Amino acid sequence: MNSHRILDHPVLGKLTIEKEIPFTFDGKKYTGYEGDTIASALLAQGIRTLRVHEESGSPRGIYCNIGHCFECRVTVDGTPGIRACLTELNPDMIIESGKQQFSPFKSTENQDDLPRTYAEFEKQLKGEKEDEPDV
Amino acid sequence: MTNKNHAEVAIIGGGIVGCAIAYYVAKAGIDCMLIEKGDLASGTSSRCDGNITIVDKDPGFDSLMSLASQELTAELEKDLYLPFEYRTQGSILVCDNDAEMEVANEWVNIQNQAGLKFKLLDHSDIRQESPYFADDIPGGLECETDSLINPYLFCYSLIDRAKEYGLKLHTRAEVKQVSKKEEFLIETTNGSFTAKKVVNAAGVWAPFIGKMLDIEIPIKPRKGHIMVGGRQKPIIMRNVMEFGYLMNKFQRERIADPETLKHGVALVLEPTESQNFLIGSSRQFVGFDARVDFNVVQTMARRALRFFPKLDDFNIIRTYTGFRPWTEDHLPIISAVEEVPGFYIAAGHEGDGISLATITGKLIEEMISGKETTISIEPLRYDRFKRKVVHM
Amino acid sequence: MYDVLIIGAGPAGLSAAIAAREWNLNVLVIDEFLKPGGRLLGQLHQEPDGKWWNGIEESKILLEKAKELNTDIRCGISAHTIEKTDHGFSVYTNEGILEAENLLIATGAAESPAPIPGWTLPGVMSIGAAQVMTNVHRVRVGKKGIVVGVNVLSVAIAREMQLAGIDLECMALPAINSATESHGSPKKVMKALLRIAHLAPSTAIRFGSRFMKGDGTKALAVKFFPKSGVKMWGMPIHLRKAVTRINGTNQVESVTICDITADGEIIPGSERNIEVDFVCIAGGLYPLAELAAVIGCPFQYIEELGGHVPVHNEQMETPLEGLFVAGNITGIESAKVARAQGTLAGLSIAKRKGQNLAKLENQIQQAKMNVRTIRENATIQFHPGIEKGRSRMEEAYYDIVHG
Repeated sequence: MNSHRILDHPVLGKLTIEKEIPFTFDGKKYTGYEGDTIASALLAQGIRTLRVHEESGSPRGIYCNIGHCFECRVTVDGTPGIRACLTELNPDMIIESGKQQFSPFKSTENQDDLPRTYAEFEKQLKGEKEDEPDV
Repeated sequence: MTNKNHAEVAIIGGGIVGCAIAYYVAKAGIDCMLIEKGDLASGTSSRCDGNITIVDKDPGFDSLMSLASQELTAELEKDLYLPFEYRTQGSILVCDNDAEMEVANEWVNIQNQAGLKFKLLDHSDIRQESPYFADDIPGGLECETDSLINPYLFCYSLIDRAKEYGLKLHTRAEVKQVSKKEEFLIETTNGSFTAKKVVNAAGVWAPFIGKMLDIEIPIKPRKGHIMVGGRQKPIIMRNVMEFGYLMNKFQRERIADPETLKHGVALVLEPTESQNFLIGSSRQFVGFDARVDFNVVQTMARRALRFFPKLDDFNIIRTYTGFRPWTEDHLPIISAVEEVPGFYIAAGHEGDGISLATITGKLIEEMISGKETTISIEPLRYDRFKRKVVHM
Repeated sequence: MYDVLIIGAGPAGLSAAIAAREWNLNVLVIDEFLKPGGRLLGQLHQEPDGKWWNGIEESKILLEKAKELNTDIRCGISAHTIEKTDHGFSVYTNEGILEAENLLIATGAAESPAPIPGWTLPGVMSIGAAQVMTNVHRVRVGKKGIVVGVNVLSVAIAREMQLAGIDLECMALPAINSATESHGSPKKVMKALLRIAHLAPSTAIRFGSRFMKGDGTKALAVKFFPKSGVKMWGMPIHLRKAVTRINGTNQVESVTICDITADGEIIPGSERNIEVDFVCIAGGLYPLAELAAVIGCPFQYIEELGGHVPVHNEQMETPLEGLFVAGNITGIESAKVARAQGTLAGLSIAKRKGQNLAKLENQIQQAKMNVRTIRENATIQFHPGIEKGRSRMEEAYYDIVHG
């Protein structure tokens, strides 16, 4: 647990832990420290992937760590789009990584195949179960 | 002579209208240049949505013009190399109440009589469109031929191809002076250019260009807000607008809250190819003040929630404003100018610049080449405003 | 209605709050991060006199002073938009609308991206991200990494990571592409690097300074820059190697590195992979100024200050009545300059509130002198033309206000 912490530092000294904070990420239980952001608590556990790109499914982690790039957005207690790098870790937070979404209309595909209604989109989904994204 | 500072035709303005003109003129083999004060699509064409619609047009000349544009855009998809997120899924209008539903019924009948592919949608059709719609929406209507593009990509795609046809492009060249002797002299912040003919495609800024030649162009900036919703799960497949704002075309009163009426707010929701959502819209005359007005944004959000109440956790990632080039009769000016031979105006499309860009480009090319025009240009003449007093 | 709302609780914002509180103004400081201090928090470097500049301690000093003066500081608040009203400003935040008569924007800087293929993989982050993880959160960003981009900031942070016991393979340039531009040019990087020579008592410096007399010889310095790089604290800094690609499936596994010419062009056939599990990208800093743009403050592009900067005068006032700026939003300089600018901004705001003018005027003059002195004596100078950039800004302000 927290194996990626820098416990001792030649200038900053020993890491002082005021309080442990329990939280859940994608259904698994972890512990962070008071003063952690969601991003730092997860990185301390070796967890780097905070979401996948909504269309391609490629993994994403923190980039700027100052709230500017929005690469680290996660869902916290049901609210999506929360920046992990700026958000203070609170006790018993339920954090979910960002998932791949359907991309029902790519203009590069045959125009006639593009669904016009949501009902058509659902019908197409049922037709092609094999490579169904995880939503 | 064919040097880079001279051309047969100079087009001023690198928005969607100027880019479409540049494409058709260059494709016709005419030596031409495009002069733009910033970058391509840096004005109104990157501060708008991407509908090419007939659904909201008056039957007759308005819808004829849009239909011609739709057909040209479909052809362009084959000729242009860079994709521009062109999707032909049709579009829908939704009604707020039974009074609107009645008028929508009339609207569909008129459009069908004109031979256009319109269909009335009932309550259960609306459920098929999106499970996120409010339960109390009585219905709406569909126009099958409507399409969507990404206007920003479209401008770059047109110019990319136009350059192959010989277009000379001058960006970051703000026009400071236009004068005419033997030919036109166009002085800019990035060099001086000469041309035999000049097309003023500067949109809301067209009056400033006109003034340089003592031509008064009755176009006013009308500000519109658009919110951009963050990428999320699909909620609807195609563009949706509300019928309400067509009500005044029928001299009927629109039923909505005072703030909505005051800011000219009407729902537009466009699902983009990358699953962002453009949410509009507003209409205000505030000069060139581009600042986002939070009252307007809140009113727009409330309007969106009236139709999509389940989207109350929608992440809005940004809001922008754009200036639509308004004319008094809501038709663009696509015309030669008698007072200054060789000077053309292609501006004043208000909210229809995306819908009408391709037909505008084609018409200007036909006028310059002395061909018969694809559609009548009578209603688009510049001198139509002289016949009556224009209140500016 | 506050007398002044300060956006950003970094060295500039906190110092301004202290100065304004000393003149008894009603002050609110907001910041997006969960603790005050801004980017000062992560800073840790040795001054030429051997003393450590410890950002956490420096932040504490400011914070304690602010607390003594009962300053209201709220963290975790994001401002999304600002409107200018008849009485001042309305700041829209995630906790509602905040109203203030005066506004100080002290939002600091952000890092320019220097993207290379593979940069979206988990394990790739900006150098500043690694700094905060290392020094503030005390989290190791990986086992062994590489720093891509050689500049004042990245050299300093690489040293901080070494101090924390993090293994860095080397520092190298990003391969030149349309987005990385000058960060990939050895000549330009060399020129910039020599400005931090005094921080590193090493061969690179002695090597470089010999060549710094004229522009022609700078090119020579790159030409003769050792193939194996020069070592700073045992870590090679390469100016003739560039990272072309970051590789991995679910996270960083390796980088592809190659030799480059003095102009940054890749030498064919020199590509090879180095195993690393994290990559820090360093593209340099630019002023974080969107909020000033949103209210309609005029801007000026000044390269020496780091890019587009809100127009302001030496008292930190912008042409927009009641709007002030301080710190890195006014140009990229050290935290010490930001702190001095903050004090000056706080005093200027007190003046606008019509406080005891003779005494205040005196303090303002001292604060102005202080900014100049600190600038002249700066240990870390981000741009050699900073003075020139500052005077160009004065001219821009004059042109707009009197012009």
